[in-house]
Amino acid sequence: MSRSELEKFREMSVAEFFSKYREVAGFSNPARALYQTVRELVENSLDATDGHGIVPEVKIYIERVGGERSWCRVTVEDNGIGVPPTVMSEAFGKVLFSSKYVLRQTRGMYGLGVKASILYGWATTGNPVEVQSSTRGSDYVYVKKLYIDTKRNEPVVVEEAQFRKNVSWHGTRVSLIIECDWQRAKARILEYVRRTAVIAPYSDIILQTPDGEILFFPRTTRKMPKPPRTAKPHPHGVDVETLKQMLRATKAKTLLDFLESEFQSVGEQSALEFLKVVGLKPEMKPRRLLRSENDGLLVTMVEAMKSFKFRAPRSDYLSPLGEELIKIGLKRMFNPEWVDAIKRPPRAYQGHPFIVEVGMAYGGAIQASEEPLLLRYANKIPLLYEEKEDVSYKVVSDVNWKQYDIEMPAPLVVLVHVVSTKIPYKGVGKESISDVPELEAEIRNGVLELARRLKRFISAKEREAEAMRKILVLARYIPEIARSLKTFSRPPESWKPLEPGEEKDVVEALVGLVARSVTLPRSGDNPGRSVEDLVRSVISGVKVS
Amino acid sequence: MNVVDSIDVEARRRAASILRDVMLRVLDDVIKGRPPKLVIPKRTLSNTIFDPERGILVLGDDVFERNMLDMGETRRFMQTLLMASIVYQALVENEYPTIRDLYYRGKHTISYRDLKGVLREENTWDEQAESDAAIRDIEVATGLLREHMLILSKEKGKVVGNMRIRSGPDVIDLSKLGHGAYAIESTPDLIEFLDVDAEFVLVVEKDAVFQQLHRIGFWRQYKSILVTGAGQPDRATRRFVRRLNEELGLPVYVLTDSDPYGWNIYSVFKVGSITLSYESERLATPKAKFLGVSMTDIFGDTNKKPYLTESERKNFIIKAKERDVKRARELMNYTWFQTPRWKKEINMFLEKKVKLEIEALAGKGLKFLAFQYIPEKIQVRDWID
Repeated sequence: MSRSELEKFREMSVAEFFSKYREVAGFSNPARALYQTVRELVENSLDATDGHGIVPEVKIYIERVGGERSWCRVTVEDNGIGVPPTVMSEAFGKVLFSSKYVLRQTRGMYGLGVKASILYGWATTGNPVEVQSSTRGSDYVYVKKLYIDTKRNEPVVVEEAQFRKNVSWHGTRVSLIIECDWQRAKARILEYVRRTAVIAPYSDIILQTPDGEILFFPRTTRKMPKPPRTAKPHPHGVDVETLKQMLRATKAKTLLDFLESEFQSVGEQSALEFLKVVGLKPEMKPRRLLRSENDGLLVTMVEAMKSFKFRAPRSDYLSPLGEELIKIGLKRMFNPEWVDAIKRPPRAYQGHPFIVEVGMAYGGAIQASEEPLLLRYANKIPLLYEEKEDVSYKVVSDVNWKQYDIEMPAPLVVLVHVVSTKIPYKGVGKESISDVPELEAEIRNGVLELARRLKRFISAKEREAEAMRKILVLARYIPEIARSLKTFSRPPESWKPLEPGEEKDVVEALVGLVARSVTLPRSGDNPGRSVEDLVRSVISGVKVS
Repeated sequence: MNVVDSIDVEARRRAASILRDVMLRVLDDVIKGRPPKLVIPKRTLSNTIFDPERGILVLGDDVFERNMLDMGETRRFMQTLLMASIVYQALVENEYPTIRDLYYRGKHTISYRDLKGVLREENTWDEQAESDAAIRDIEVATGLLREHMLILSKEKGKVVGNMRIRSGPDVIDLSKLGHGAYAIESTPDLIEFLDVDAEFVLVVEKDAVFQQLHRIGFWRQYKSILVTGAGQPDRATRRFVRRLNEELGLPVYVLTDSDPYGWNIYSVFKVGSITLSYESERLATPKAKFLGVSMTDIFGDTNKKPYLTESERKNFIIKAKERDVKRARELMNYTWFQTPRWKKEINMFLEKKVKLEIEALAGKGLKFLAFQYIPEKIQVRDWID
């Protein structure tokens, strides 16, 4: 087989592959396909907004179309940066064309999603996708209707137009008609949108369903996490193919220069030491390594890179949500009695930096359940399927909640958010995260730390309840005890029954005594009445017969 | 017309003063801002000690403090103080409440508001068991018995015999009561012994046997005083027997069924009871002797002929029940049942697993019981000490 035949074969197979084996991308049935389509469109919208410092407004419309047929039109509109007209066709009509093939934390990692939906829609309903988009500062809105030629992996534009803008809108609106099963997808989609609203509380999200319901999740804050930034690869995280691409693209004149300028965490000193270990000359031209006789050398180099002690990968270009936003999101959705969140320090696995964030909510409006409600997120995407496969599930189900004074069933929500330039998903469905030891350890640290904080809250609350109970138990007998004791102030010689209220001084003394014997820890938003006030309130207006 | 006799007045004055002193100390704590508490000796089995020298059960040194500020004790604290105030009032107002009266006098509703402001209600006490417990707390906390506080209870014990007593303003001749008997009053300490012509006291467990012995003239023939507690003796009966023994020097013989229940009644007369061990010093008669019916009376012994023939035995004895056996084993643990004679008695019971009621001996013939069995046993000193 010649080299050109091989290339052609690979290029043709891509769009065709997704068309034929769509379950791989999560399109195994009309219900899953609808869910997947909503998800891909919403995630693109959020990337186009919060990824660029824009407070998101995302509108999702799902309508039934096509009469008797089970078709849906899915439309998602955002106020994002928009797609420039020059790349619009490719962005929506060429599989594996994406702005996301750089090392940056994004929601959709491979840029397959929306194109898989387009392929699916074309295959099941024969309808093209309709895209409207306008970039910031542009005077025009561009509209294209297109489908993907699967054989050539090329966009086929059916209709296009441009309009002068008479409003300041910028963003993207994508509309697709696909075969769907709303009834079976409904619960998942609602849950997906709810969970998205938890992790992106700075977004306005509107969902209109085929049942005519409109769900509106208004933003509760305008504070947004710092957008993720593009990073250079870390030597621990590259494979032979990536290394080849980098060698091809580099402007560096020497290997030393190449290592220093194209990788992160590599300085002159470590580059020289590394080259000494693999036995390469620093002044060697990078491109020489691409010669076919050097293939073996490249493999050796990649292996050496993985084991060489470079500085840990940088994490400052990751975009975690932050503790405050997680708390805001959980509070809005669950109205809990207690909420807390923790951002673990950055760590790396196999050269990929990651940050684990954990949130926990307890009590209030949360429904008690046998297992904590687990909300999993990866790069701000909710993960709904394959829960039991996920490393977070493994960690959370290992927790002995009793040890933290939590008796199951309990009203408990655990949120785990992993951000990374490369999330270690278990499968192509991207619904569960593998139990990479470094990741598992961080999740466990976060969950257990919050469990300890929750335990402290619960015990403070119990002590408060105990103090309240003590006040109630002691105070109620004060009038009776006072009157009984006061009886003895009368000597037998000058006996007469007590006058009403004569025991007042003893009541006062007892109120003081009881109040001093109780310390009231304030666990939460309990309005601060003094212990003495509480004692008096128990016996206020009560007469002793 | 208010007849108050002098003995009563003196008793009241003393009781009111002691009770008031204890409670004024509590009041003083409250006024001075100290946590108010009552120091109460523990009335538990573990704090009940057999004093071998005096031969009685006494309360040990363990005390507990009923602290008002201890959540688990507050209600009992309130009940004790409430009861104390009612008793005090009854004492100074010259009343004679019964324990049932005190229960009703103190029973009322306490109203309070919960922390949400909702009015709630609770009774000072619901059952007499609670108010009785409050009385016992006062007894141990003050060292005053309820008899000292002029609190009455149902009279249960009876006495007849050759003696005259003064009770209140009246002189009563206990030998001139016909077929009836004198009910031992709730306050036996207020009884004055005038003249006595008796050589011993016979205490019988059962009222029916007491009546039989009374009618057949036992006490007249044998110059004795006949007492019954009609089952478990009340405090008054025990105190009365104790006074007969202690003040008049009369030997006391106890006649019960031949079973663990009967032995226990003897034990209550002799050493006191566990729940009321704080009163044993005044109620117990450590010199009381168990006259019968003993196992050897039924089955005989080396050098002793049984009182029952083979066929009588067959007819009269009853098979012991499981709970009798259990009770016998419990009694074996008590120090005062660990004498050689008692060990022999209990072991015989456990071996034969049978019991016998005194009525069975009366069944053999009342005359046999009154004129042969009892006097003969006393005569030959065939008792267990």
